[in-house]
Amino acid sequence: MGNKMIVPFGSQHVALPEPVRFVFETENEIITNVEVDVGYVHRGIEKACQTKIGYKQVAYVVPRICGLCSISHNMAYIIAIEKLLEFEAPKRAKYLRVLAHELDRIHSHLFAMAHVAEAAGYENLVMYLFRDRELVMECLELLTGNRVQFDYGCIGGVNRDLTPEVEKELRKKLKKLEERLFWFRDVYLNDYTLNLRWKGVGVIPKEMAEKYNAAGPVARGSGVRTDARAEFDALPYRELGFEMVVYEDGDIWARNMVRMDELLISMRMIWNVLDGLPEGNYKENVKGMPKGEAVCRWEAPRGELFYHVRGDGKQILTRMRVKTPTFSNIPVLKELFIGANYADVPAIIISFDPCLSCTAR
Amino acid sequence: MSIRKKSPWILHYNCGSCNGCDIEILACTGPKYDVERFGIINKGNPKQADILVVTGPVTKRTRARLLRLYMQMPEPKVVVAVGACACTGGVFRHMYNVENGVDRYIPVDVYVPGCAARPENILKGIALALEIWEKKTKDTIEIPTVIKKEYEKIVAKMLMHGQVVDRRKIIYDLVSKYIQRKLETPKCD
Repeated sequence: MGNKMIVPFGSQHVALPEPVRFVFETENEIITNVEVDVGYVHRGIEKACQTKIGYKQVAYVVPRICGLCSISHNMAYIIAIEKLLEFEAPKRAKYLRVLAHELDRIHSHLFAMAHVAEAAGYENLVMYLFRDRELVMECLELLTGNRVQFDYGCIGGVNRDLTPEVEKELRKKLKKLEERLFWFRDVYLNDYTLNLRWKGVGVIPKEMAEKYNAAGPVARGSGVRTDARAEFDALPYRELGFEMVVYEDGDIWARNMVRMDELLISMRMIWNVLDGLPEGNYKENVKGMPKGEAVCRWEAPRGELFYHVRGDGKQILTRMRVKTPTFSNIPVLKELFIGANYADVPAIIISFDPCLSCTAR
Repeated sequence: MSIRKKSPWILHYNCGSCNGCDIEILACTGPKYDVERFGIINKGNPKQADILVVTGPVTKRTRARLLRLYMQMPEPKVVVAVGACACTGGVFRHMYNVENGVDRYIPVDVYVPGCAARPENILKGIALALEIWEKKTKDTIEIPTVIKKEYEKIVAKMLMHGQVVDRRKIIYDLVSKYIQRKLETPKCD
């Protein structure tokens, strides 16, 4: 017995930057049933890539699937196509790809952490995070020429070289950022309010994460060792000092700490790239048409991104399939809500860092 | 009215964009660009909003929502389309689930170009929207100011003569007279 109530959340809501709709059935503020609708942003990109866009232009259409992890989509597609064409990118291009991708990861994670802090009501921290995120955005703009949609990678390498002047500026800005990151880590570890709000809320046990096939920081926050970068050989992650971050707690706090520690690892990899950037070409001409089938697994900021490409020697691909990280996190999100308190809903949703434009495409 | 001018509230709706423009709008509220120094606050309630900021090429699912949000906003309202895909459809133009731009469904006042639109451009777009909003406000409050002056004259006269003032009746008479006068005068265009 109790007060039964149906609470709609979305599709337009202040806490959400994008349209998604949840319908919660609650009983005395405890959620008993959830319905999720993620299809608001479906545009039909996959279909367009198979029917009217040539395979070289697709590399600049797929980043528009998602603005936050645009470079992940771009590069995963490019690597899949390079596998088909049996081409290996020059070493300098590989290093520059890692540089751009890790910078993108830093900006995406800072954004996600700012959002979670906002859901906890910690406005100061949000503003600090946004201020320091601008440093990364400036770095990305220096490197690639744009703030959000970079279009940095191309089939055969990258579109721009790293000049010494840019490198000098990058070093200056990244040094400033690194100091701030250590300060943020201190806040996230030790702040009394944040610990009170986040510890023990929205707990995903390890078995549940494995059963529902969670990906990315959500899985790593629950102790599942999964990271595509550890088993990926098209880019030199291992020689740049990659390390997997795993926390066992499984709550909102643990997911945030995974993101926080990944920032520091990304920072380390960026320093290694800048120190040991090899000489040589940053772009090479590629000939031939894609024929056959190839897949690419890529670690986007939200988890594992999967590209499947099939061509038959013509300009237009016969099949292109994208599986995005948020898509695999939706079932566990739905399961997690049942039995949770309604007041925790915004914090839980945002701690997953959902990207609906990825999911619906 | 002057309070609204000093602090216009924004309603942001994503009609299927790639999040690029949305994160740039959020970056505008951050400390570097700081849109809040103009008194602009991002609010989720359409009934309290003055400016509607739309991103994305309008998918078939979000179309009805967009219209409903637009209808719920109070007059005068201004619409800003942010990003290439909100203006024309951008890269998504002629994809099967896309409606090619916001202006097919609601009137757009300011177009902000770019993929993704830069924060500086978004700020400029909102500043332009404020100007348009001010103009629209003047158009809509012209009627009350005329009546107000006449009303003050009549009330002053009645008070001088020591009569009892029925304010409601005076306003009713004035408004009905004003409307009749407006209806009689032929329109130029």
